[in-house]
Amino acid sequence: MSNLKPALILFSHGSLLCGAGETLREHAERLRATEEYLAVEYGYLNYSLPSFEEAAERCAAAGAVQIVVVPYFLVSGKFVREDLPPRIEAARREHPQIEFILAEPLGFHEEMTAAVLEMAAMARPPEHWRHDMLAAPDFCAHRPDCPLFGSPICPVTAEATGGHP
Amino acid sequence: MTRALLIMVHGSPRPEANADVYRVAEAVKGSRTFDHVEVGFLECNQPDILKAVENCLATGATQITAVAYFLHTGSHVCEDLPGLLEEARKRHPEVEFLMGSYVGRSPHVTALLARRGTEALTRSRGIS
Repeated sequence: MSNLKPALILFSHGSLLCGAGETLREHAERLRATEEYLAVEYGYLNYSLPSFEEAAERCAAAGAVQIVVVPYFLVSGKFVREDLPPRIEAARREHPQIEFILAEPLGFHEEMTAAVLEMAAMARPPEHWRHDMLAAPDFCAHRPDCPLFGSPICPVTAEATGGHP
Repeated sequence: MTRALLIMVHGSPRPEANADVYRVAEAVKGSRTFDHVEVGFLECNQPDILKAVENCLATGATQITAVAYFLHTGSHVCEDLPGLLEEARKRHPEVEFLMGSYVGRSPHVTALLARRGTEALTRSRGIS
């Protein structure tokens, strides 16, 4: 067993919709700040970047010998049970020196209860309900199959036209 | 003032996927922060969000705080859920409606991700 700290990958589904990556970046930044891990990366199954494979590549480049993959999912559904394991298997073949360990998704825990109560305590009146999507273009794949593509509420459209679609 | 909490969930074609959110709702009830706690679904399951609002009002709620049990932002959190709550407000202008951010924003979720990672690492050491 190595004395090196483990690396951690947050695994998520990915989305055609902009803004979906913002949250994962926040979690990764908080986890990095704990200095418990050699590296903290996030990677997606579909659509969004970086891909799961890129995240594994980055951990390998950091010298990881052990990577724990934590699914950023509420429950263990098809994506976690069926789609993720073959991707981990492929990453194992690509990086045979690295031990990959799959963690459970969030599921039930008192931290989820605390999260609900925290968000409830910060609840706001209607003028604040439509959460701003300023960071969204950072995570946009700008794909024509996105339902918002080219529409007035597409943040990339808004940015390109100075907020006047 | 009678305060209700509405936990807004995406919903799933596999109803058993909602078991955890009902456990969270029970735990929130146990905290006695709210007079009533209700779960409402955007898709697939019942009650839907507007029915869940009616259920809150039937308990005498004069203020409804809604929290999105979602991990990511996106069109559901930014458009669909606020749209439904605005509809509920129009129907019930005498009721105060508040909406919180989605639970994925919370540092408690970050802490749980770290915990799930630690649990897996501990298990792997146990069998190696």
